[in-house]
Amino acid sequence: MAALDQAETPDADTREIGDVLLRVDRISLYFGGVRALNNISFEVREHEILAIIGPNGAGKSSMLNVINGFYHPQEGTITYRGKTRSRMRPYQAAAQGIARTFQNIALFKGMSTLDNIMTGRLLKMHQPFWMQALYWGPAQREEIEHRKFCEEIIDFLEIQHIRKTPVGRLPYGLQKRVELGRALAAQPTLLLLDEPMAGMNVEEKEDMCRFILDINEEFGTTIALIEHDMGVVMDISDRVVVLDYGRKLADGPPDSVRSDPAVVSAYLGVGHD
Amino acid sequence: MFYREAGQFKVSYAADQAIFPIRQDQIGMAMILAVAYVVMPVAGSEYWLETIMIPFLVFSLAAIGLNILTGYAGQLSLGTGAFMACGAFAAYKLTTAFPDLNIIVALLLSGVAAAAVGIVFGLPSLRIKGFYLAVATLAAQFFLIWLFAKVPWFTNYSASGVISAPPRAVVGELYVTGVHATPQARYLFCLTLVAVLALLAKNMVRSSIGRQWMAIRDMDIAAEIIGIRPLRTKLSAFAISSFYCGVAGALWAFFYTGTVEPGAFDINRSFQILYMIIIGGLGSILGAFLGAGFIVLLPIVLSRLPLMLGLPISTATISHIEVMVFGTLIVFFLIVEPHGLARLWRIFKEKLRLWPFPY
Ligand SMILES: Nc1ncnc2c1ncn2[C@@H]1O[C@H](COP(=O)(O)OP(=O)(O)OP(=O)(O)O)[C@@H](O)[C@H]1O
Ligand SMILES: [Mg+2]
Repeated sequence: MAALDQAETPDADTREIGDVLLRVDRISLYFGGVRALNNISFEVREHEILAIIGPNGAGKSSMLNVINGFYHPQEGTITYRGKTRSRMRPYQAAAQGIARTFQNIALFKGMSTLDNIMTGRLLKMHQPFWMQALYWGPAQREEIEHRKFCEEIIDFLEIQHIRKTPVGRLPYGLQKRVELGRALAAQPTLLLLDEPMAGMNVEEKEDMCRFILDINEEFGTTIALIEHDMGVVMDISDRVVVLDYGRKLADGPPDSVRSDPAVVSAYLGVGHD
Repeated sequence: MFYREAGQFKVSYAADQAIFPIRQDQIGMAMILAVAYVVMPVAGSEYWLETIMIPFLVFSLAAIGLNILTGYAGQLSLGTGAFMACGAFAAYKLTTAFPDLNIIVALLLSGVAAAAVGIVFGLPSLRIKGFYLAVATLAAQFFLIWLFAKVPWFTNYSASGVISAPPRAVVGELYVTGVHATPQARYLFCLTLVAVLALLAKNMVRSSIGRQWMAIRDMDIAAEIIGIRPLRTKLSAFAISSFYCGVAGALWAFFYTGTVEPGAFDINRSFQILYMIIIGGLGSILGAFLGAGFIVLLPIVLSRLPLMLGLPISTATISHIEVMVFGTLIVFFLIVEPHGLARLWRIFKEKLRLWPFPY
């Protein structure tokens, strides 16, 4: 039994890319006359890190918004864990194990770091409100048990010193980290990161890269991230999808995408690196 | 004796999550309770208990209710008075229809009735926010008060429309409402009920449900994306807030004025409670008490002060001064310190923790 467990747990070196977790099939999304996404198809496989790149306005954020139910595409389907879903609300996506961070930080500004992360854990907390009001027995135990889990995330992200600080007072780089912590608290199967390193200095970027790789390796979390820094993308991703004006230009391992002529002319040529 | 946590190490998350993690605060709270339970009933005059302490407690409870909705869940409401009226009339109907019903049960059921009404009037909150939601709750305010005044069933077909709360005992002959009830009994009953409900509110706001309210308040889109169901969460805030306001309204009618009349719960009452949470502190249970205390005491202090200083100021001038002081304070708190007196108290404690070595 123990041996079996071990065989099934992907550890740092033997992280196996598995089956298709998410299939995006011929998605089109319009905003009035603007075609934000045009017939986009790609797959995300279990345990992989997929990077979505493309120039500004290419439709990257829109793609993530479609995946977690925030935007509803006019055409196409999304199949997650083998189930093709109809129109769904973001909280339903959350319940199915999809968590995300935002391009413009979307933290709960009036709450502390700890409370933000604890809020990210709410789907795992089941005590009825009147037990919470009594704050007694099972309700208190639940609160403490989840506090322990959140403290582990806090240790992992090295933000112990700002645990009780209202997040509105934190510098930008730390806010990004807290937002990642809040997403992790849900123990997601699929983690969507919208420009997790935007606006960071080199050191902060290195930290964030390390966190993303560790999350992927230690917890086996599948990650889809949007990033503009090509160095980072080439370093950490298993596969890259390139969008431009709502269309998909390329899809493949970093090296082949980098040398793809369409990509070079559309994206890499325009001042990057 | 410095105020600080040095030497008080928190060895468990349970200790760290306590309401009063610092020992000096625990002692302070124990002293407040001792004064409230022992000194007040023994030493407080009838006037002091009836016209200051009981309304203070009732206002505090209503302010907790509004603070849950507005301060924690971020849903601006101008219908507090109406929800209080729901509780008051529900308590009247319940106690007259079921004379044997225990007063505690009657009060709690009145809260439940107010909660049900609160849910109905909270439904628009899914679609509208801020100013527009406030206008919708204003509609509730005017409609409900009009309803209670117009439909004679609510007043048991009384000719005058003004009805007095029937006498009820907690146990045996221990009357807490009506003419037989001593001010001490009424005060202690209110104190206990308000203290228990305040504790429950504090527990909710530091638990998962409270974090959901604050998440909706701070950023509703992000809240939904981490799994919070917006309508359900907003309605829970409306329900629990209205429960508190409803019980407060019932206490007002049964323990403070002794009469049940819609006029006591008009729009001015709603604004008064709103001022309390703005001055006391949005999103703070302590702030509800501070704001209520401030608004109950300010007119009394203002009317006594000139006398004590020997200044001949007419009562008309005093009431003008009162309005001006309120106006100034509300503008001040809205602009400078939206977290009100409760925040000022926190800052004071943070300073005290470092005093006398601020670096
Ligand atoms: N809510 C919306 N309403 C109207 N148009 C929108 C909306 N969201 C996105 N768009 C449009 O869709 C297109 C794609 O936007 P999107 O935010 O997905 O780009 P992006 O690739 O994330 O760009 P960036 O790198 O600047 O973040 C843009 O033309 C944008 O103006
Ligand atoms: Mg974007």
